[in-house]
Amino acid sequence: MAGLRDIKRRIVSVKKTQQITRAMRMVAAAKLRRAQNAILSARPYAERMRATLTEVARGLQEPEHPLLVARERVRRVDYVVVTSDRGLAGAFNANVLKFAAREIELRERSGEAESIGLVLVGRKANEFFRRRRPKQILRAIAGLGTVTYDQAVRIAEGLAGRFVSGETDEVVLVYSEFVSTLNQRPRADVLLPFRAADSGDAAGLPFEIEPDPKTVLSTLVPKALQVEIFRALLENQAGEHAARMAAMEAATRNTEEMIASLTLKYNRARQAAITRELVEIISGAEAL
Amino acid sequence: MAFELSIVTPEGVRFQEPVDHVVLPGAEGAFGVLTGHVRFLAPLGIGEAAVTTKGKTLFAALSDGFAEVTQDHVTVMVDTCEFAEDIDLARAQRARADAEAALAAAKSAAHESELFARQEAALKRAILRIKLATDAGRH
Repeated sequence: MAGLRDIKRRIVSVKKTQQITRAMRMVAAAKLRRAQNAILSARPYAERMRATLTEVARGLQEPEHPLLVARERVRRVDYVVVTSDRGLAGAFNANVLKFAAREIELRERSGEAESIGLVLVGRKANEFFRRRRPKQILRAIAGLGTVTYDQAVRIAEGLAGRFVSGETDEVVLVYSEFVSTLNQRPRADVLLPFRAADSGDAAGLPFEIEPDPKTVLSTLVPKALQVEIFRALLENQAGEHAARMAAMEAATRNTEEMIASLTLKYNRARQAAITRELVEIISGAEAL
Repeated sequence: MAFELSIVTPEGVRFQEPVDHVVLPGAEGAFGVLTGHVRFLAPLGIGEAAVTTKGKTLFAALSDGFAEVTQDHVTVMVDTCEFAEDIDLARAQRARADAEAALAAAKSAAHESELFARQEAALKRAILRIKLATDAGRH
């Protein structure tokens, strides 16, 4: 049987763990709020951008931009996998990574894609693929801290460059969609060729476009690509904090249960010790 | 006669108010917009915007994007927008020094044209911010 002092020591240690998990939960909650605000702030720009792009693209018959043109045969595919830098967020990163690994495997097994390239965002993605697919890693980005638009711009530039020069035929973005605080879902979106919008009704432009639609499109499309990546980074960030908050809440609850059961054990052991001492004293007195 | 001006960036809405007049840094030269302007869409470069509202003129540093003009609404979509009084002069000066150093380095490695373009843009933005911030101090 564990000695009284051992049980006491364990209770103290679990209490310390609880302090940490509780603090981490609070920090994650504060960061989550900030991350959610960032998603909301990004929305008006993204919506205006999409509306403008749709209008401009509708006025054109053909996809007039290299980033919009789909390849007849897709031989080389780049995957952009977005995770967080830090762990202790439950299954958050494991979910995206498992999902990404399966997507890539399916694509490889289909026999269509001859080569795969990986652009990894977040330390967790780097650790995961460094062991599994070291030769396919094109770019590893980690330690970004708080997401900024500039980061999205840099990632987008690299991808667009590879697509235009023909180094890749398709770019797929794998990230965690922030559905709600309790639910983050991995998803894969085709980033390039970029879908401008269904150019269904070519009603003609309600606009005068200066200098001309083609020139405007050539700056609009790369920007729309940046916006997509920025959104994925923001959703990943919010999802990370939400998942960590949930994980730390569960951990705090577990420590509470553990403390309760250890305290019970401690009291029983203490009671047993007292009883034993009493019995010894009484039997000692009787012997006299 | 006022019309509504909104300036949105990927990191949030920076300005949304009725204004009387606005001058924007078009990619092919600055242009001014008054109420009732014909609908049009134009790319913007790195430059300053002058917003006139209630008899006052505000200056803002913009970097690339678009302006969409309709009869009673102007929407400006840009990567960054900072009003003169919000500019951090020390930061802009540091950015200028960094960009100049990087440009000097990029010049010798001529193959890095993408890097060169980015640093050039960074330098332009820094110079613009310094100009607006020093002007604002004088008014």
